Amino acid sequence: MKKSIAISFAVLALLALPGSLPVTQARGDGFGDVVKLIEQFYHVKHQGIPLLARAGLKTATTAARISGGPRRQIAEAGSVKVAYFDDQDFRSNSSYTRFKSSMNSVLTGWSPLIQVASPKEEAQTYIYLRDAGEKFNVMVVTIEPREACVVQVNLSPASLAKLMRTPDEMGNTITVDATTNDNE
Amino acid sequence: MKLLSRTLLKIASAKLAALAVLLVLGATATAMAQNPRIQTSQLEGLAAKASETVDVNIDESLMALTIKFLGKDDDERKVKELVSGLKGIYVKSFEFESEGQYTDADLESIRSQLRNPAWSRIITAKSKKDGSIEVYLMHTGAQISGLAVLATELKEITVINIVGPVDLEKLTQLEGEFGIPELGLEGSKPKRKN
Repeated sequence: MKKSIAISFAVLALLALPGSLPVTQARGDGFGDVVKLIEQFYHVKHQGIPLLARAGLKTATTAARISGGPRRQIAEAGSVKVAYFDDQDFRSNSSYTRFKSSMNSVLTGWSPLIQVASPKEEAQTYIYLRDAGEKFNVMVVTIEPREACVVQVNLSPASLAKLMRTPDEMGNTITVDATTNDNE
Repeated sequence: MKLLSRTLLKIASAKLAALAVLLVLGATATAMAQNPRIQTSQLEGLAAKASETVDVNIDESLMALTIKFLGKDDDERKVKELVSGLKGIYVKSFEFESEGQYTDADLESIRSQLRNPAWSRIITAKSKKDGSIEVYLMHTGAQISGLAVLATELKEITVINIVGPVDLEKLTQLEGEFGIPELGLEGSKPKRKN
């Protein structure tokens, strides 16, 4: 009896620690899984529709830019998904490695291309890829002390091959273009 | 008589089974010994102390994709030629705020793999910032099947692993591409073997 109470207390204590438990959830499209993971791990909420719409409009242009041509190449982009977390706390008390392993376990079927963590600046960037037939799903996750962003785009193999040459710049190229308004 | 023949049969079966196990183990060990992919997961513990960690994984399918779709202009054609036949590029680096954040023991998991006779150290060079660069090649028969670089500085560790036919010249030309950092290897004079 005492033992089970002790175990219950231990479980409650673990639950009380922010981000201390591995996040378990149903396997979905990857994008939704990552957004949920971030929400559960950091106890934050992602932004609503207006921003998504704005980002979505912008991202169509992005794909054209990435593919190095005019907007007629927009079709290469396919669907674009953006989730933005603004003005929330992502300071994690050095739990980067735990978050990274949670990401890897949530994104089964995706290949991690690049993972960068700068604990001093409280910044993390992850890029995952998934073969989607004629196109590739590319997911970019950027986390900073007060904001985060998840972007998923579909890229043609030719566009992806071009970006592969500088994987360290790929995340920035996709995220900045996907979340910056043309008029800004 | 029957008992004796049964006993002999049992002994023979046991010996055959043991031989089969040894053969399987031997084949597995050989396969592992000839694997040009360096395992870096044991360095993960350093991530907690690092001010920046970078992990680049370009596996065989992504390499194939890059090779297939690059080549629209001269620059791309040159890169395509360089990476042609490569089966993977993997880079892991740790930067630290201060010195003394890692020891030789931390690097042992990498060095122990590179001590395998399949690997030959072709370069040991001093780096610009009080560190060293070790370059290793793995040969499979007459062909190079992999390359590994262990670059250490007082506040930085970088492990580069290229799987496939690659040599030092290709490595220097690939610096700055596919997540491979600038190593400044051009002036290095190759030394032969350990």
